[in-house]
Amino acid sequence: MRPLASLFKGWFLIRRDLSSSRRLFLTAVSFILPLALWCFVSYVDWIWHPDIKLQLSSEREGNSTVFTAGDHISPGYYQEMVVATRAENTRLLASTPPPKSSKRANQKLLRQLAPVAISHDWLPYTEAQNDAVIYHLWRDIATGTKVPTDPALTPENLDIVKQNWAQLAPLAADFSLASLPETPLLKLIPQGLPANPVYLPAPHEVWRSGWRDFKATPPEGELSMTQRYQHSLRVILLGFFWACVIGVPIGILCGVFDFFSKLFEPFVDFFRYMPAPTFSTLLVAVLLAGDAPKIALVFIGTVFQMILVVSKTTRLLDPSLLEAAQTLGASPRQMLTRVVIPGILPNLYNDLRILLGWAWTWLVIAELIGVKSGLTEFIETQGRFRNFDRVFPVIILIGVTGFVTDQILSWLHGIIFPWTGRGNPIAQAFLRFLFWPFRQLSKLSDRAGTPT
Amino acid sequence: MAAALQLPSYLDQSPEVAARFQRLRERPVALEVSGLTKTFETTRGTVTALSDVSFSVHKREFMCVIGPSGCGKSTLARVLAGLEAPTSGDVRVYGQPVSGPGPDRGMVFQSYTLFPWQTVKQNVMFGPLMAGASRNSAESEARQWIELVGLTKFENAYPQQLSGGMKQRVAIARALANQPRVLFMDEPFGALDAQTRCQMQSHLLDIWKNVDITIVFITHDLDEAVFLSDRILVLDPHPGRVREMIEVPVPRPRHNDQLFEPSFMAVRKHIDNLIHPPGQDHQKESPVLRLVARDPDVV
Ligand SMILES: Nc1ncnc2c1ncn2[C@@H]1O[C@H](COP(=O)(O)OP(=O)(O)OP(=O)(O)O)[C@@H](O)[C@H]1O
Ligand SMILES: [Mg+2]
Repeated sequence: MRPLASLFKGWFLIRRDLSSSRRLFLTAVSFILPLALWCFVSYVDWIWHPDIKLQLSSEREGNSTVFTAGDHISPGYYQEMVVATRAENTRLLASTPPPKSSKRANQKLLRQLAPVAISHDWLPYTEAQNDAVIYHLWRDIATGTKVPTDPALTPENLDIVKQNWAQLAPLAADFSLASLPETPLLKLIPQGLPANPVYLPAPHEVWRSGWRDFKATPPEGELSMTQRYQHSLRVILLGFFWACVIGVPIGILCGVFDFFSKLFEPFVDFFRYMPAPTFSTLLVAVLLAGDAPKIALVFIGTVFQMILVVSKTTRLLDPSLLEAAQTLGASPRQMLTRVVIPGILPNLYNDLRILLGWAWTWLVIAELIGVKSGLTEFIETQGRFRNFDRVFPVIILIGVTGFVTDQILSWLHGIIFPWTGRGNPIAQAFLRFLFWPFRQLSKLSDRAGTPT
Repeated sequence: MAAALQLPSYLDQSPEVAARFQRLRERPVALEVSGLTKTFETTRGTVTALSDVSFSVHKREFMCVIGPSGCGKSTLARVLAGLEAPTSGDVRVYGQPVSGPGPDRGMVFQSYTLFPWQTVKQNVMFGPLMAGASRNSAESEARQWIELVGLTKFENAYPQQLSGGMKQRVAIARALANQPRVLFMDEPFGALDAQTRCQMQSHLLDIWKNVDITIVFITHDLDEAVFLSDRILVLDPHPGRVREMIEVPVPRPRHNDQLFEPSFMAVRKHIDNLIHPPGQDHQKESPVLRLVARDPDVV
């Protein structure tokens, strides 16, 4: 009993570190918890699911609003749709002689099955209007060669497929629009499942859309997802790079010399309160379309913060180190290069890490100015169409990129600055591994140097 | 007990000790301070930290500066090292006026001030490298100084991995590697435990014996001052001015047993009286303390 009790003890200690296994556990939980919540809300019907998501839709006579598969509608309206479509079918069967119908109406009717085909990968989603394939699908389903499972057709709809096929069969293998019958076909009854609102797609939908978007070869003249990703990375890295090139030296100078501090910092302090996005139109006017205004926006958003943060970090360097260096005979120039710069590097590195995180915010705004580009353009377009299942993967991608970069940089901190003592054991081992050849060499030269 | 109470006068010097002081006085003057005054302008008015301080230290002398907290000891060390400019008066090292920090005057701070990004060896190499020595010669020089302070095993460790005593030994080696003519030490052992401090004191005397250097050592520890120094400069607080310059009659070489010799106790007691005038303690009224009834065993 005792070990079990100790499992629950000592989780809440004021300002005490937990054991590494408990930390690891909690780190895992911090990611699993929101994921689990998302799954829970998505897959357990009775929690929320206020909408019906159409798997199969139908157009109604005299109703101009068209819903397609994937659309979300209210349960009440769904019922209305089902009842109305059934009524249309009954009317059709009852009327003798059968009314005339246009081939166009029948073509639309055929395409009712397209979404089913797409979700079974029987049809690429770019080919949703390839009637020949869809026509064969009707045959396959009617004859039972293909059995749709996700979504499965209701018995009612299967029946309708068979009845329609009886009419369509004479067309045989050579499908053409012209050969469609002129007697109206029966409409498939709308099918749908309870779902959350569009803005909260289920995990598997997000995964599926993301996978599809990233693998898809884009239509002529459009960028693939990887290209968009690379473009975004390029803009943020260039903007951040220039911010570092300008911001770090000025920041250090401000931190070291009161002259530069008083010369630059008041204006910088003022300038950073003017939100960078307010300059976007100006930047586009000056730098024209293309990446330049975007890079400039990331630059403006980052550089002023950087100057202030770096100068603060520089000022935090223990002044007694500078005094010690002076009593050891360091010239002002040597104090700067041999004491100030190495002394602030570990903190400077962490500052830049945090600023890089902020730069992502500016990137999103930067990609919306001028000619929209990159990942944000995709988010914007898909968001407008309410395709949130395609928006989320991109948002998550940005998050993962930022998080992983930061984790790697933080891990590298221990390797680059071993004296800070924060290096974890793995980093230390890595460092030992990295310097193994040099150690062996220096040992050899030591042995050569000492006469035996 | 009775014998201990009858201490000799602290001015009594054995003939050998007197002769040694005579020889010391004949040496060239290493450090000369005359009329040194230092005031600080603060928001609450002018603070006089040092007022008309004058003294001189001879070559290879070991001098301690002692005084109560806030009497301006650190300020004195900083002015001598050139880290602060005096308000008036001047400081000369071997006749050269001091106008700023320089490698001819080393400084060891209470707070170690080692460069955390450098290993022990790199820290000790710092001074020679600044002076333009080649990497190789600086390194071999540094090795010798590290050996002198007994840290050869740790030459590739970072300061963060060392104990307080070890850090201070590195700081001493780093200051010595510069071969300064005068070394100022501002309470270098203040943060160490009694045991380590004792070891460091013997160690420092060993180094001083072997290296051509004049030391000005600042402390607030009476035993430390008497144990280490040839002469002791006692400072008065508010404003800091020279109270007395005492020649320590304890013969050299020093060792820990001397702590209980009459001559040692005599100087110690005299300085104690200077710094904490008798009759000042035990007079505090303490209306806020909860006093208990007298306990004959607790007195
Ligand atoms: N930078 C400064 N600005 C204003 N006043 C100062 C400054 N430095 C020192 N002082 C004042 O000068 C006096 C002497 O300070 P100092 O640090 O030299 O004392 P100290 O003898 O070293 O004390 P301690 O034994 O506690 O280290 C103090 O009253 C202090 O308030
Ligand atoms: Mg002090």
